[in-house]
Amino acid sequence: MMSKKTIEGKIERTLESLDGMQRATPQPWFFTRVKARLQREERSVWESIGSFLSKPAVAMAGLGLILILNLFVLFKQDNLHEATNVANQPVQLSDSESILASNSSFDYENVQP
Amino acid sequence: MDERLLVNQLKQGDETAFKTIVDTWQDMVYNTALGIVQNAEDAEDIAQEVFVQVYQSVNSFKGDSKFSTWLYRITITKSLDHERRKKRKKRFAFVKSLFGDESEVVVHPPDFNHPGVVMDKKEDAAALFNAIGQLPENQRLAFTLHKVEGLSYQEVSEVMRTTVSSVESLMHRARINLKKILEVYYKEKD
Repeated sequence: MMSKKTIEGKIERTLESLDGMQRATPQPWFFTRVKARLQREERSVWESIGSFLSKPAVAMAGLGLILILNLFVLFKQDNLHEATNVANQPVQLSDSESILASNSSFDYENVQP
Repeated sequence: MDERLLVNQLKQGDETAFKTIVDTWQDMVYNTALGIVQNAEDAEDIAQEVFVQVYQSVNSFKGDSKFSTWLYRITITKSLDHERRKKRKKRFAFVKSLFGDESEVVVHPPDFNHPGVVMDKKEDAAALFNAIGQLPENQRLAFTLHKVEGLSYQEVSEVMRTTVSSVESLMHRARINLKKILEVYYKEKD
C-alpha cells in the first residue's frame, strides 16, 4: 500500500509529465490528402443534391408539385378561353328587344312601298 | 512570410498560397486536435477538415485576430464536434446492445500515448491524458492549449475569447481536479 506522500509525489510527477514535450506531426503527404478531400467534397456537393432529389419522398413530392402546377395552368387557360368566347359572342337580346329590333328594321326596309 | 499576404492570395484562389498555409500550420492544427480527441486517426481526419474549411471559408476571415488564432478556433470547434458525434454513436451502440443487437460492441480505447512525450515519461503522460479527458470542457481546453500546445495564458485567452484571469482560474481548477482524479487512479492501481 502506497503512503499518502508517495501518491502525492506520483501525482506531481504525472502533472509535470507533459513538460518539454514535442509537437506531434501528421503522416507525410498531408497536403496531398487535404487536396484529395477538397476535391471529394466539391464533387459530393453535387452528389448530395442528386441523392436528395432521387429520394422517393422528394421525387414523389416533386412529381405532385408538377402535376398541381399543370392542372393550375390548365384551369387558368380554360377560364381565359371562356372569358374570350364570351367577349367575342354577339350580344344576346331579349325577346322584346329582338321584336322591337325586327320591327324597326322592317320599318326601315319598308320606308318606300 | 507575411500572414496577411498569404491570406489575401488564398482569397483569390491561389493554390500555392494554400499549400504554404497547410505546410506552415499543419503540425499546430494536428497537435491541437490530437491533444483534444486523443486519437491519431481522428486527429488526422479533423486536421484535414480544418484545412478544407479554411479553403472554403477564408473570405469570412476578416483579420481581426491572428490567422493562427482563427485556425485554433476552427480546430477546437471541429474537435469538440467530433467528440460529441463519437459520444452519440457510443450511446446509440450501447442502447442497441441493450436490445440484444451485438453488431456494434462498445470498445473502450486503450491508454493514449502522445508521440511527442519523452520516453521515460510515457506512462505518467498516459495517466495524465486519461485524467485530462475527464475534466470539464473549458478546463480541458485551457489545460491542453497551455500544456500540449505550449501557448501562454494570453494566447489561450485570445483563442478562447476570454480574459487572462479567467484562464488562470480555469488552469487552477483544472489542476485541483486533475489531482483528485489522479489520486483515485493511483489508489485504485495500488
